[in-house]
Amino acid sequence: MATSRELTISSVMTQTLSTTMADRLRAIVGHNHVITHPDRLVAYESDGLTAYRVVPRAVVLPETTEQVSSVLALLHEEGIEVVPRGAGTGLSGGALPTPDGVIVGTARMNRILSIDQQDRLATVQPGVINARLTEATAPYGLYYAPDPSSQSACTLGGNVAENSGGPHCLKYGVTSRYVTGLTVVLADGEIVRFGGAGTEAVASLDLVGLFIGSEGCFGIATEIEVRLLPAPEGVRTLLGIFDTMQEAGHAVTDIMASGLMPAAVEIVDHATIVAVEASVFAAGYPIDAGAALVIEFDGTEAGLDEDADRAEQCCVAAGAREIRRATSEEERLGLWKGRKKAFGAMGRIAPDLLVQDATVPRTRLPEVLARITEIGEEYDLKIANVFHAGDGNLHPNILFDRQNADELDRVEKASQEIMSLCVSVGGTITGEHGVGVDKRGYMPLVHNEVELEMLRRARWVFDPSGSLNPGKVLP
Amino acid sequence: MTLVDGLRSVLPDVAVRDPSEPDSPAWHGATPEFIASPSSTEDVSRLLVWAAQEGLGVLPVASGSHADPVSNGRFVALDASLLSGIEEYEPADLTITAGAGTRFATVDDALRGNGQWAPFDPPAARGRSMGGLVSEAAHGSLWAGYGALKNHVLGATVVTGDGRVLRLGGKVVKNVAGYDLLRSVVGGRGRLCVLTSVCLRAFPLPPQERVLLMSGTSVAELIESALAVGTAPVLPASIVVAGPLDVLDGRAALVVRLHGAESTVDADQATLETHVGRPFDRVIDVRDGAARILSQLQDLGAAEERCIEISVLPSQLSGLVSCAADVGLGPMVVDSYAGRIRIGGADLGVDPVGTLRAAAEKAGGALRIVRWNGADSPTSTPQSAVTAMLSERLESIFDPGGVLWPARS
Repeated sequence: MATSRELTISSVMTQTLSTTMADRLRAIVGHNHVITHPDRLVAYESDGLTAYRVVPRAVVLPETTEQVSSVLALLHEEGIEVVPRGAGTGLSGGALPTPDGVIVGTARMNRILSIDQQDRLATVQPGVINARLTEATAPYGLYYAPDPSSQSACTLGGNVAENSGGPHCLKYGVTSRYVTGLTVVLADGEIVRFGGAGTEAVASLDLVGLFIGSEGCFGIATEIEVRLLPAPEGVRTLLGIFDTMQEAGHAVTDIMASGLMPAAVEIVDHATIVAVEASVFAAGYPIDAGAALVIEFDGTEAGLDEDADRAEQCCVAAGAREIRRATSEEERLGLWKGRKKAFGAMGRIAPDLLVQDATVPRTRLPEVLARITEIGEEYDLKIANVFHAGDGNLHPNILFDRQNADELDRVEKASQEIMSLCVSVGGTITGEHGVGVDKRGYMPLVHNEVELEMLRRARWVFDPSGSLNPGKVLP
Repeated sequence: MTLVDGLRSVLPDVAVRDPSEPDSPAWHGATPEFIASPSSTEDVSRLLVWAAQEGLGVLPVASGSHADPVSNGRFVALDASLLSGIEEYEPADLTITAGAGTRFATVDDALRGNGQWAPFDPPAARGRSMGGLVSEAAHGSLWAGYGALKNHVLGATVVTGDGRVLRLGGKVVKNVAGYDLLRSVVGGRGRLCVLTSVCLRAFPLPPQERVLLMSGTSVAELIESALAVGTAPVLPASIVVAGPLDVLDGRAALVVRLHGAESTVDADQATLETHVGRPFDRVIDVRDGAARILSQLQDLGAAEERCIEISVLPSQLSGLVSCAADVGLGPMVVDSYAGRIRIGGADLGVDPVGTLRAAAEKAGGALRIVRWNGADSPTSTPQSAVTAMLSERLESIFDPGGVLWPARS
């Protein structure tokens, strides 16, 4: 697995782009939209996973599908690697530059091209911010369901590349359920159209589904057609406070077994609560609590109180010492605050944070959480857990200081153990953040060599040259 | 040595039978040399390798069905029915894994015994195998409320044309560890590989199901009401218009299914009736007649000797339904939320279907020939040249020797 130390070395080796090539790119996208100055390139040296940093040769910011096509065709012709990038909020280093590569960013491709109220569809460019689509469709009584925690900053193009989830995908599913069609530019600049609502009867393989989650290795999506849902009429949000994580885990199991279908079920652990309450994001969670459980129901107003009552009963039966129920949108945001601001709050505890992302069968959560605590103790590391409990998607956050080489070494070892643990109970190494560079080394935990070779060949199907986002996903 | 003797010398445990036996499937086009029924993933792998060595093609058949005709050539049929049984079911995890040859009824019964279900209802689903349903990505009317079948398939074990065993996906709901090859297999119709095991996501059974019915003289008369339901601020589990229906004395019906707590479905019904501008004619109790109507809706036309499927945007449905009526095609089932029309009948004509295909394509949609018993079959809307090229590349990495050619013919 590549380490941050190795990547620091590679950043020194970054090549500059020739003036001629920069001028040719500027001729396509406009003078101001090709960045080559070292001071400005530093802003692109990493994505949300800052442990890995490489300064790119250049950044190109096209505005249209045709410009993307021309840019990729030119770079392909010159044999230059391409790293696609959305907002750079990814947490697996999927948009990490390569020393020899050029970033093609979608920041200027930020238009909502159409909203079709009757067919409940929208077509957007890849640089549209996730939350902005829901804002734009709200006047029609519609919304876009996938809601990654970074939805106020992340782009829909990035969501497609990572097959993003979010707290509410427990009920509504992840990005792949909502994308109906794509316009894609392949590595050589060819523009292709996959799928499209209304064309499902065409007897073809599901190339839309295969493209989603391909982490920028198959092409750049330049137009994304998505399905919208009617905005739920009402919402009920509860916060359960528990003395122990085990009690909170039992409450989740009971809620799911009772036949209820919450929109979201999220847990933050004691370490996270302490971090949040000590920060500017303090949400009023009791700092002696073992775990806080956020449960949300949405849908038709008439049935929501009944659902919330049943969930509350499950929490009480599992040992909740306190239940809070939001009675206004302001209170709802307050209950969510401790969950949504958890990552931000951890910044004050340690200079660096490794956000892990693994999924396990829900019934294995209690034993996995207990073992993660032991791993933290064994390696003398602080690990705070925030997770989507309803679907078993864990985010163990390892706090560390990258300047401390010994600690960095222990972080890598603990991380490896956590991943092995999750796989050993039937889980996987990433539920929603993607593999990127961060989890390439863990891929053999979930795929044997035959399967890894198939993934390499799948990449070849779309990009025989291998020039799109090299060094990602595959070990 | 005969082919069968050759196979038995390599795979003595694989059951083999003659394709002309009475309980064999109806073969469209060419007939296989024999039907082989392996009972393990390993034997499927060995069978594919053996077939390649013998220069034979392999046609996967699940629950004895394969609707597409096979062009001439020597091939064996790989019957998955012995890859049967529930392999793993953990109700608290809401996941179930079963052999590809397992009848959906077996899975459905196991789930319902624990207050759960797999919410998809393609035609004749209970009698079909898991592998067949997944391979076809069969469409059902519960798409509106629960999404497509492909969203419920969490993982699968498959064998590539050259005998490699791949475990795709997993048994957790969220999983992005590598490219999602599973998506190309779901709906791949056996073109890429042979499914041997499937893991599905289960859901809690809804506390209440309410079936609302509005009847009319024809599908065309009801389609606007169906579209109105589809743009209401609540999302039903399914919205289907179908007709003529035997159970309604030849009339057509708009049938809407609502799932949720009793107070929820009460409120949803009121919202829909306000939105549509009229009350539903009947509310049918599931225990009292609704099952019969739902069953006919689910299966209408699907088992006919000729069957077609159309997809368009919902906003284009009225025009397509009118066109179908104008050229005399029916009976039909319309999933108005998904924009899907199924028409089946022994007397579907080539020219009317051609007219309908042109109308569908003009409206931005497509038409697919699901089954056509007869020599003069009309053609389906083709995929684009570039998706065909990419699909061929995918086929080449899954099946480099082209052993699965009968599924692609």
